[in-house]
Amino acid sequence: MQGVSGLLSAYGPAFGQALLLTWKLTAISFVAGFALGMVVTVLRLLPLQTLRFFLTGYVEIFRNIPSAVLLIFIVFALPDLQVLIDYEPSVILTLTLVCSAFTADYLRTGINTVGGGQVEAALSLGMRPMSVIFAVVLPQALRAVVQPMTSLLMALMLSTSLASQVPFPGKELTTLVAKLANDSAAGMPAFAVAAALYVASGLLIAWAGATLEKKVRILR
Amino acid sequence: MSRAIEDILFGGPSPRARVVTWGLSAAVAGLLAYAIVARFHAAGQFELRLWEFFGWTTTWAFLAKGLLGTLASAAMAAVIALVLGLVLLLGRLSRLRLARLPSVAVIEFLRGVPTLLLIYVCFLVLPSVGIKLSTYWMLTLPVGLSTAAVVAEVYRAGVLAVPRGQTDAARSLGLTEAQVFFQVVFPQALRYIVPALVAQMVIVVKETTFGYVVTYGELMQNAKVLIANYQALVPVYLVVAALYCLVNYAISKASQRLGRPMH
Repeated sequence: MQGVSGLLSAYGPAFGQALLLTWKLTAISFVAGFALGMVVTVLRLLPLQTLRFFLTGYVEIFRNIPSAVLLIFIVFALPDLQVLIDYEPSVILTLTLVCSAFTADYLRTGINTVGGGQVEAALSLGMRPMSVIFAVVLPQALRAVVQPMTSLLMALMLSTSLASQVPFPGKELTTLVAKLANDSAAGMPAFAVAAALYVASGLLIAWAGATLEKKVRILR
Repeated sequence: MSRAIEDILFGGPSPRARVVTWGLSAAVAGLLAYAIVARFHAAGQFELRLWEFFGWTTTWAFLAKGLLGTLASAAMAAVIALVLGLVLLLGRLSRLRLARLPSVAVIEFLRGVPTLLLIYVCFLVLPSVGIKLSTYWMLTLPVGLSTAAVVAEVYRAGVLAVPRGQTDAARSLGLTEAQVFFQVVFPQALRYIVPALVAQMVIVVKETTFGYVVTYGELMQNAKVLIANYQALVPVYLVVAALYCLVNYAISKASQRLGRPMH
């Protein structure tokens, strides 16, 4: 434990910044990915066969592609196609795309828990299909997916370690400790501190998710 | 099966609407395809030298070797995860606090830490304390460990889903605790969770892409070698991404098939 206290006195602020950057990357890509996933979900409900076909392809591709491959493609291959994206936006874009695909998939499962009778009832009240989606179907679907979305947020938080794979100016946790391990002998304590911060963030997310779940879940 | 929500919402499209949407989507798809092709053309990505080596069998043999490396690592990681996951589960379900608390701690730790961080530990820290792993194990061990924690939780969900009456009945027949678990509860739990376990394999395959970090010869690493040889970033990464998608898509489909009720 000697190593940890020495490390914290020397690199404490650096770890704080790294943790904040990890949280920032997580938050931005989760919000963007969630919004995009919701758009994809609604568009997939529209009676446009071809659109559904393409969006199903979108979801399957980004659900199955390893994030590392996607990130490296965006950072190193896209410039060859004259599409230049800076490192930080590239990381966020990667995580957003992956997050949106999983969100769309989970929301679809959530929608399947809503009974068809409710939709028929809403339509027979004279509601238009779009308002049925937004007033009846989506609210219930959202309440049904709190648990998988919590897991997704945790997975996303861990995936921000991908940022260490590109020459990123800011340092998130994994980048920071990989650099510390390279530069100094502080390898093991540095990894221990980073691991503790990751685990703590994960537990925080799990706790928030469980609290929300308890509040909004629908007992059927 | 009852009708899907979208069919109830909108009913069937009229013939005219069908023609209109078909025409519109064809136009949009055409425009999109044109934009991509034009972009490739403008960037000179259709040059023959960037694509011709995909006509050579040596290229595909090299990629196949990489894929084999990926699968070898993924398979061993899966074995580690399934076995260690069971050990962690037994610890977690144990009535002895001495076994339960460490198991919970290990599960929470391995689940809460990025695999990449564990790989860096094996790659950067272990050698400095005198533990030398081969590149295969530097990749496989971290992936296996972090999957083991998730698998332990999946097992637990399965065990909890087995009705309690099964345990009570088995005990009242005079089976030992070990027999109750391994002959009655666990086999039934496995049937609930096979789809989730197979789906976990997708994550294992994805995580082995970090093989290039430790220069283990898996698909991603071999792709980097090809790129260094032919200076063809876009084609190689496109092909590799497609290969990964295909493998993972096949695994997900298999897990969905297993997930269908058996009767």
